[in-house]
Amino acid sequence: MVRRIVRARVADHPAADDLVQETLVRVLGAAERVEPGMLEPYAIVTARHVVASMWKEQDRQRRNQHRVADLRLPDAPDEDLLQGEDRAAVAQALKHLSERERRTLLAHELHGQDTRSLADELGSTAGAVAAQLNRTRARLRVEYLLALEHTEPFSDRCRPVLIALSSGDRRRQREVDAGRHLLECDLCARLSHPLLARGQSRDDELRIPIRADADVVLARQGVRELAARVGFSGTDLTVIATAVSEVSRNIVRFADAGEVVVELLKEPRPGVRIVARDTGPGIPDVERALTDGFSTYHGLGLGLPGARRLMDEFAVVSEVARGTTVTMTKWCQEG
Amino acid sequence: MATGPALVSILRQGPYLIASIHTALDDSQLIRFQKDLIDQIGRYRSRGVIIDVAALDVLDSFGSRTLRNIAEMARLRGALTVIVGIQPDVAFAMVSLGMGTGSVHAALDLEEGLEYLDSRLPAKDVGRAVSAPG
Repeated sequence: MVRRIVRARVADHPAADDLVQETLVRVLGAAERVEPGMLEPYAIVTARHVVASMWKEQDRQRRNQHRVADLRLPDAPDEDLLQGEDRAAVAQALKHLSERERRTLLAHELHGQDTRSLADELGSTAGAVAAQLNRTRARLRVEYLLALEHTEPFSDRCRPVLIALSSGDRRRQREVDAGRHLLECDLCARLSHPLLARGQSRDDELRIPIRADADVVLARQGVRELAARVGFSGTDLTVIATAVSEVSRNIVRFADAGEVVVELLKEPRPGVRIVARDTGPGIPDVERALTDGFSTYHGLGLGLPGARRLMDEFAVVSEVARGTTVTMTKWCQEG
Repeated sequence: MATGPALVSILRQGPYLIASIHTALDDSQLIRFQKDLIDQIGRYRSRGVIIDVAALDVLDSFGSRTLRNIAEMARLRGALTVIVGIQPDVAFAMVSLGMGTGSVHAALDLEEGLEYLDSRLPAKDVGRAVSAPG
């Protein structure tokens, strides 16, 4: 009977069985206190409560998802301990914010003060306050992760990069050259996972780590799939895939690690931008590497110059002992 | 060979070997294919080789070079090579990239490829091909 009541409210919700169990536990626990004959109505009411509190819980989680809480660790057996650590980390992270940032954030998140009234108090606009809150949250997420790991960044480049990733601000990420930093800094590479996972909803960008031969094939298939969405012709898709194949092969051949990032462009017209970066030895003479027939292994020497011919825009930046970044763009031919 | 479906099949057809690439190959798979094919030319005393690349998504500098090398090695082992099935998009990209398969003969499809080999090889070899059970 309890099952029927619960089912009626949550249909085939995966949690239905749990709810039934919980209801039964509560009813049995209360059996002694309940008058005989009243057990059935009591069970019904209990079931309703249990279901209702689940909805409430879910709703609250949904509403809070964008907040700091979404960085919670998955449940583990030693949850109590983790929760303690969690709180300590949040507290420590909060310390890194300025007084004003902290006050504004707490007023908004804990006391539910809206951005308009906050703006009045601060002599600002609601939009500016919202933007500031977003920046504060981004910083808080970074400080929280650092506190959880009990580490301080290795260099003064780490924080700006992590914050740019955390806020999902791509222009800022380019300014601080976030992609290269992640290849060079193990700590940031590790911390960036939860930060990037948050923004995973971006579907106009693709990031493919390149380490082995097989990744070259994955990269060119990935770019083909993504670029097909902006309306490139089959010929152009093959051309782009060929260029990606060349630059990602260079990563495998010359560098230990690298990545290919594919990004769809809308302005000034549809196109695709590919950034291939590695932490390899770098190219001492870029001009020469772009010359046909110049090859440091027994290739045709057509990799880089060939890729340049295939794409509309092509740029190589290389620093010896640090790595190489190839940025290339193809624009969609509009008919 | 790795587990999973075969990436390449090399079939013997009388004095010919017909090698079909079934999917996109990475560099090390291409090199393995090259080795397998050259080995089999010796084992079966093949006189002609047809390489079907219709399923390749891309023929970049490495892919083109490998095909060229295979053809040259096959020639040194006494077999004539013809490449068939290059897709129009792939052909366009290869030319834009600034490369081709050079002196290696290419034909539109398997049928044309067989015809080419038949016409280029001495009649006694071709005769054997016709009489050999498929």
